[in-house]
Parts: sequence; structure tokens; C-alpha cells
Amino acid sequence: MDKKVSRKDKPLKTRGRIAVFLKLYLTVFIIIAITEKIGIKSFSLGPGKVVLLPMLFAVVIGILITPDLLGKVFAFLKNLIASEEIELAGSMVMLALLPLGVKYGAIVGPNIVQIIKAGPALLLQELGNLGTVIIALPLALLLGMGREAVGATASICREPTLGIIGEKYGISSPEGTGVLGTYLIGTVFGTIFFGLLGTLSANTGLHPYALAMASGMGSGSMMTAASGSLAEIVPGMRDTVLAYAATSNMLTGVTGLYSVVFLGLPLVNFLYDKLSPIIGRGKEVENGELRGNSHES
Amino acid sequence: MNLNLEQSLNQLKVLIVVGIMILVGQRIGYGIPVATAIPGMLMIIAIAMLSLIIKDLFPRVKFPAFAWASLTALILSMPFIPTSEWFLHYTNEVNFLGTTTPILAFAGISVGNKIQKLKELSWKVFIVAIAVFIGTFFGSAIISHIVLKLQGII
Repeated sequence: MDKKVSRKDKPLKTRGRIAVFLKLYLTVFIIIAITEKIGIKSFSLGPGKVVLLPMLFAVVIGILITPDLLGKVFAFLKNLIASEEIELAGSMVMLALLPLGVKYGAIVGPNIVQIIKAGPALLLQELGNLGTVIIALPLALLLGMGREAVGATASICREPTLGIIGEKYGISSPEGTGVLGTYLIGTVFGTIFFGLLGTLSANTGLHPYALAMASGMGSGSMMTAASGSLAEIVPGMRDTVLAYAATSNMLTGVTGLYSVVFLGLPLVNFLYDKLSPIIGRGKEVENGELRGNSHES
Repeated sequence: MNLNLEQSLNQLKVLIVVGIMILVGQRIGYGIPVATAIPGMLMIIAIAMLSLIIKDLFPRVKFPAFAWASLTALILSMPFIPTSEWFLHYTNEVNFLGTTTPILAFAGISVGNKIQKLKELSWKVFIVAIAVFIGTFFGSAIISHIVLKLQGII
């Protein structure tokens, strides 16, 4: 247990862990080689086109080879990717994102004049993130969720929201369970979902520029999946699409925390109080008790 | 507050490995020769390191290293900044999509231990989360579409 804590403090410590690094690097190298070899695949679906990028294959293969899935079947995978490698992979994501961050900056820079012109749209679309509460909260209540619904739908539930809800309600409270649920689904399926949504949404009649701005939702990998796929659909607008997405993502990075605290959370609580007596399933009492408990711990 | 040299060195090692992965990946996927992309990759790694160092030096500023990296590259590549031409010349040799594959390969592996946790939460969370994604995406897209239209940009 102690070992685990100290490893968390210095996730990149190499001493005595060379094998862990090598196994992880080797695995990722193989995944990259395979997915880049497959390349970009696109096919028509109804009136539109779906683009599958190597990154989507990479995330799927990455999930599949872990011990809970294919690792259960193939013993050699279990030896290759075990809990230590999985943990290290988590710390690697943040570092591996940085070259992409630089690339995004280099796309935004040359387009800076155009972006400033689109400033009002970029700023106002941040309010659109509240669409999540309006659409998802009633659905969560209809499905019979209690206070979990508040945590699950206050925002898109990336790290800042996880922090805010965890601090305010406690991560083991119903709200905490809710936020963790959306966070985990987003972490596991987010890039796959947004990769597909990025291409499918091009058929909705909404302008690619607007969809590009919508792609920046505070998660680097989700934004990349959505805007990368969208850009492949509209190659003529590629740079502008990527630039708007990156700028929007940067803005969300700055404003996201405040918008959850001052807008998202008050709105979701207000709507919860109004809607739960109508469409909720009388779970308030039960969850009220639960909440009381977790507050004390 | 103060810079941890050992940590920075470890980060640099990781970035070099990631850089090599990107160079090899884009050679396979997009046929970009490794050698021509090396100078651009070195600049990218330098900016990435810079952003990690900035983040270490100012832990109270809640701005992720990813955003520092973007911001630095943004400033270096603005049209009226003298560095823009050569900076873009070299970094353009590093393919945008090529930089995304390693991230998602790591990300995929890193969620491996969360599958069990997801099974414990019920299927309802999945449906709600998808509604959250759709609401966020289209909420923003609809507002942007209206405002861009009002501005006459689209």
C-alpha cells in the first residue's frame, strides 16, 4: 500500500521500473504501428460520411488489451499490461498531449485574426454547455436517478467538475457517484463517441465552424477526436475547424471551472428541485439519508 | 513551487520517446520521412518542456500544461510575429493526426482498470452520460451557429 502511494507521488520514477516503462512503450509502439498502417478509413452512412481515424483504433485496441478484457483470455497480454503499466499509462496521457497542444497552437496562431473576429460566437457558445443540464437532467430523473443526477449532469464532468463536486458533496456522496459515472463513461467511451459524433454531426445542417466550436469542451482528447474527424469530412475548412476547436477548448479550460460553480451547479440544483417532484421516483428521502451519511465521513 | 529537476528530466525522457513514436507513426501513416520532421519535433518537445516548467513554477495558476503549450505555439506562430515563418515551416513537418495516436493509445490502456468500476454503476449512467455529451455538443453548436450567422461569418 505504501509503495502505491509513493508511486503516485512520482509516477514517472524510473528506478527499478525500467521493465514497466519498456513494456508500456513497446505496447504503445505496436499499437501506433498497426493503427497508422490501417490509416484513415471512411465509409458512407445514410446521407453522410463516417471517418475513422487511427486514433480511434488506437483507443479501442488500448482498452481491449487490458487485463479485464482480452487479458482475461490471453495470458501473455496479462504479463504485458498489468496494473502498473495501466497506472503509468495514465500519467503518460498528460505528457503525450503536449505535442498536440503545440500543434493546436500552431494552427490557431496563423488564424488569429479570423478567430478574434469570431470572438463573440466563441464566448457565447460556452453557455451552450448548459444544454447538458437541460437535456440530460430530465432523462436522468426519468430513469429513476436521485441526487446522482445532479452530479452526473452538472457539466460534461471532466477533472474540474470532479474536483468541485468532490469538494462540495464528497466523492462518495450520491452526487459524487453521479459525477464519477459521467467522468468514467467520458474517459472510456468519450473519444470514440465524439469521434463518431464529429463526423455524423456534419449532416445536421449546423455549420462546420459551429460544430468546431462545440468540439472544445474541456477535454483535450475529446476535442481532438471530434474536431479531427470533422476536419476530415470538410477538408476545405480543415485549418479553421481545428483552430476554432482549439480556441474553444482553451476558453473552456479557462472558464469551465467558473461556469460549473456559478452557472451549471445552481441551474442543475434549481431544475432538480422543480422537476424531481414531477418526474422523479420518490428517491429523495433515501438519497437524503445517504447524503447525510457521507457528509459526516 | 520550486522546480523538481529529477521530475523534469523524467518528463523530458518521456517526451523524447513520445516524439520518436510520433515520427515513426507518421512515417508509416503519412509517409513523412523521419529526418525532415526532426527539427520540428525538437521545437515541439522544447515548447512542451517549457510548458511543464511553467506549470511547475506556478502551481497556483490553474492553467494546464496543455494550454501553456498551445499558448506558446500560438504566440510564436502569429502572422505579425517574426518567428512565425520558420516556426511553422519546421513544425508543419509534424503531422497533426500523427500526434494524436500515441495519446489515445496511452489513454485506452489507462482506462483498463476502470471497466470493472463501470460495470458496478448501472447502465443508466451510460445513457445519462451520452445525453450529457449530446447536450453539451449541440448546445454549444446551436449557439455558435446562431451567433456566427448574426455576425455574417457563415
